[in-house]
Amino acid sequence: MKAIAELALDTCRNLGASYADIRIVTVKDEDISVKLGNISVLEIREKVGFGIRCLADGGFGFAGSYDPTKNEVKRVEKLAVRIAKSSGATRKNPVELVDEKVATDSYSTPIKKDPFKVPIEEKVSVLLEVDKRLKEHNPKIIKFTKSDYRGHSEDKIFSSTEGAFITQKIVFCGGGFTCMAISPGSPPQKRSYPGSFRGDFSTSGYEFFESRNLLENVERIADEAIALTNAKQCPTEKATVLLDGHQLMLQIHESTGHPTELDRVLGTEAAYAGTSFMTVDMLNNLRYGSEHVTLVSEAITPGGLGTYGYDDEGVKAKRVELVKDGLFVGYQSSRETAAQIGLAESSGGMRADSPQKLPLIRMSNINLEPTGWLRDEIIEDTKHGILMSTNKSWSIDDKRLNFQFGTEIAWEIVDGEIGQILKNPTYTGITPEFWGSMDAHSKDDWRLFGTPNCGKGQPPQVMYVGHGCGTARFHNVRVGIMEGK
Amino acid sequence: MKDNKQLLLSKAELILREAEKLGASQAQATIALVNRNLTRLANSIIDQNVSERHATIRIILYFGQKTGTVESEVFEDSDIKKAVEQAASLARISPENTDFKSLPKPKEYSSTFDRDSLVSEDTYNTTPEKRSEYAKLAIDIAHEKDSRIAAVAGYVQNISSERVIANSLGIEGYQIRTFGDVQLTILARDGKEETAGSASDARRDIGDLKVEDVAIIAAEKAVNGFGMKDLKPGEYEVVLEPNAAAGLLFFSTLLGFGARRHQEFLSFLRDRIGEQVFSEHLSLWDNPLDKRLVGASLFDDEGVPHQKVELVDNGVVKNLVYDTFTATKDGVESTGNHAKWWGPAEPIARHIIVEEGNASVDEMVSETKKGVLVTHFHYMNPVNPTEGVLTALTRDGTWFVENGEVKHPLHTLRFTDAVPRFLKKIDMIGKYPEFLTAPPIGLVPAMKLPSFRFSGSSKE
Repeated sequence: MKAIAELALDTCRNLGASYADIRIVTVKDEDISVKLGNISVLEIREKVGFGIRCLADGGFGFAGSYDPTKNEVKRVEKLAVRIAKSSGATRKNPVELVDEKVATDSYSTPIKKDPFKVPIEEKVSVLLEVDKRLKEHNPKIIKFTKSDYRGHSEDKIFSSTEGAFITQKIVFCGGGFTCMAISPGSPPQKRSYPGSFRGDFSTSGYEFFESRNLLENVERIADEAIALTNAKQCPTEKATVLLDGHQLMLQIHESTGHPTELDRVLGTEAAYAGTSFMTVDMLNNLRYGSEHVTLVSEAITPGGLGTYGYDDEGVKAKRVELVKDGLFVGYQSSRETAAQIGLAESSGGMRADSPQKLPLIRMSNINLEPTGWLRDEIIEDTKHGILMSTNKSWSIDDKRLNFQFGTEIAWEIVDGEIGQILKNPTYTGITPEFWGSMDAHSKDDWRLFGTPNCGKGQPPQVMYVGHGCGTARFHNVRVGIMEGK
Repeated sequence: MKDNKQLLLSKAELILREAEKLGASQAQATIALVNRNLTRLANSIIDQNVSERHATIRIILYFGQKTGTVESEVFEDSDIKKAVEQAASLARISPENTDFKSLPKPKEYSSTFDRDSLVSEDTYNTTPEKRSEYAKLAIDIAHEKDSRIAAVAGYVQNISSERVIANSLGIEGYQIRTFGDVQLTILARDGKEETAGSASDARRDIGDLKVEDVAIIAAEKAVNGFGMKDLKPGEYEVVLEPNAAAGLLFFSTLLGFGARRHQEFLSFLRDRIGEQVFSEHLSLWDNPLDKRLVGASLFDDEGVPHQKVELVDNGVVKNLVYDTFTATKDGVESTGNHAKWWGPAEPIARHIIVEEGNASVDEMVSETKKGVLVTHFHYMNPVNPTEGVLTALTRDGTWFVENGEVKHPLHTLRFTDAVPRFLKKIDMIGKYPEFLTAPPIGLVPAMKLPSFRFSGSSKE
């Protein structure tokens, strides 16, 4: 593979490229789902291929293919340079890249149990047992059950004309379950564990999936689903809201992660995902949140779903502050976008979801730093509030200002104690106002949550990213947004 | 242009043969070759410019009711044989899926469907330089329109795809398709405000793309967007341009009409077949065989012939869309809507057509007392799928309409509303749009609704 990479880069150089890199990648996924007692998915997927990105005549070009044979590599080399020249013809200024230390290195996700060596029968057995217990918990009301497992690995070679040669093996796995309760006269209510949309994931070995203790949580989750069918509707009012990590992670994702992606800020996503209200003139000026809010991009957090050794430009993984004590202080960037606004270095955020895709700025782990509170202290300190958990719906505008989320479940907090369950909880807000109202964030339940479903780019890509957080409290939040009320 | 039909068929035959040798009771092979080329614009330059070539084989093997699936980007016979063996290994250790009865049996494909019309040689052969020409044309036209045009963003794309689907019961389908599309979002700035306008077009023959018209419309929307005001959230009349209506209708059919979602208690139309749920002005069907559609297609993702499926007739819910698995559970026939799209396969209506009316958008505006004119929506998602509640935000051109006239542009608005409520009454339906749409949208005209609930704005 090294010989293929060297040949490809030499050819690009000979064809007029001032810079080129190649990624040769194998991506493997193992998916298992059990639905209503039946195995519904038992699937292995494997993508193999390569992508060449090069700079010529001041513009970037990219081409990729599934076929790493000599003739196809030659075709793709030529095409990538040709595309780059075509791009360069429209540019007023040539692409510039910030310097990066040239690395020759390798990285592997630290794992104890290789998820791909654990027998599939064992994983199927866990999911079947979860499904069985969910169904048996209350067959008259629990009408739908589903449990999921996914293992993922990427073997990547990155090589560039600057001399970088990096090999990486990234592994993640995880899963979860969902059940639906239906009782007469009430719309169905769903509960999931340990996260909605197929569970929770981590760059770890199979030990992570085991540590989620799916079986031990079946009864509690099923009981909550049943209780939701007769629960009081979440009120429509302005309230103090507590978000636990199962929802706070997506709040961070949508309202901090995406608007601090520098490619969005500079207009690359203007026609699709959108731009950002966090414009360059606001860097070090915008009061993004209260003094309790510190958010970092941290590709080095052990176990984070967005943890890796190097990004897909060969930049070493690092920690970058995005918001410090409420002040907006940093971006997630690439070598090109960092140069565009005069930053000294890239944040190391460029990743592609498969061999034939162009790397884009993607979140790694966007983490909210804990403050001194314990979760129970926050609850005890809340006279009237609503504690929401587990994302059910999400939507945010193209500048990442107006967001609206729904969660699977909420509880009233009255005089410092958790009270009755509320169904169909929703809340909405404006990003800096919302984060400006945060006055507490717990440290004892702080952990990393993983979401493997982040969409971005044209052609579209889906990336796996992580978010570290505990339970946080926000004030004066509009809740109960149903059908425009 | 040389197609790879015989090559793909021979690979599919290899898969089925190997599966039989290994003792599989049933097997399905899907092979797809895709060339995707996309030139992306930002800040009035080509910012990203890519070409991807994919070859994907998907093998599903059954040993009785035990199943295993392998999907891989390999094309050599030796690799394909290994993939079949892997699928067999998975199936052998799989528990039985007692709901599985059989893969689909062969049915005649439409004899009147013009397969040749799905392919354009020009689209297939479009070069980076040609896409660059389109990009430059869009940039130049937009900037000529007004000095306040600040940035042209979007893309020009051409895709060609070939696929074979074959199964051990005799299904054998081959299809080659091309399409090109242009999508532009144009930003304008005057020192105080930044506005945006968008438009798009899609064609099987990239030479038919209306790049100039798309650029002009997007630029005009941006220029006309200055002077934005806030609108207090509440219930208003709404005029939905075709792209706005298409977004709503696609989500409505996705959440409401798929048999899987009914069987899993997720559909807001569960137990409502035959009921007058929507306005009597709404008639809606799925018809991949309609040649007018850019995404026209002969068969679904398990090789079952597509057909016209009536979904709503004068407001009455008529049918669901099925694939073989869900149809078997309900004791009916597949409607040819099996879709391997995102995540596990499920039946989806991906070629929706709404019966057109005869009103223009201008006429809809003239009939509006107090309402909102919407270009399209951003980030639509279900809030509560079982009740059909959706939310999304306006984007790239939204105007306040009063007493039949467009008064002024509006800042971003969020709607949160239930499909069965806002489609219960429809005042007017437009003619089919001048611009076509890339899959999964078919033909959806503009609409005027008497009541639409905006729940928030960029300020609250």
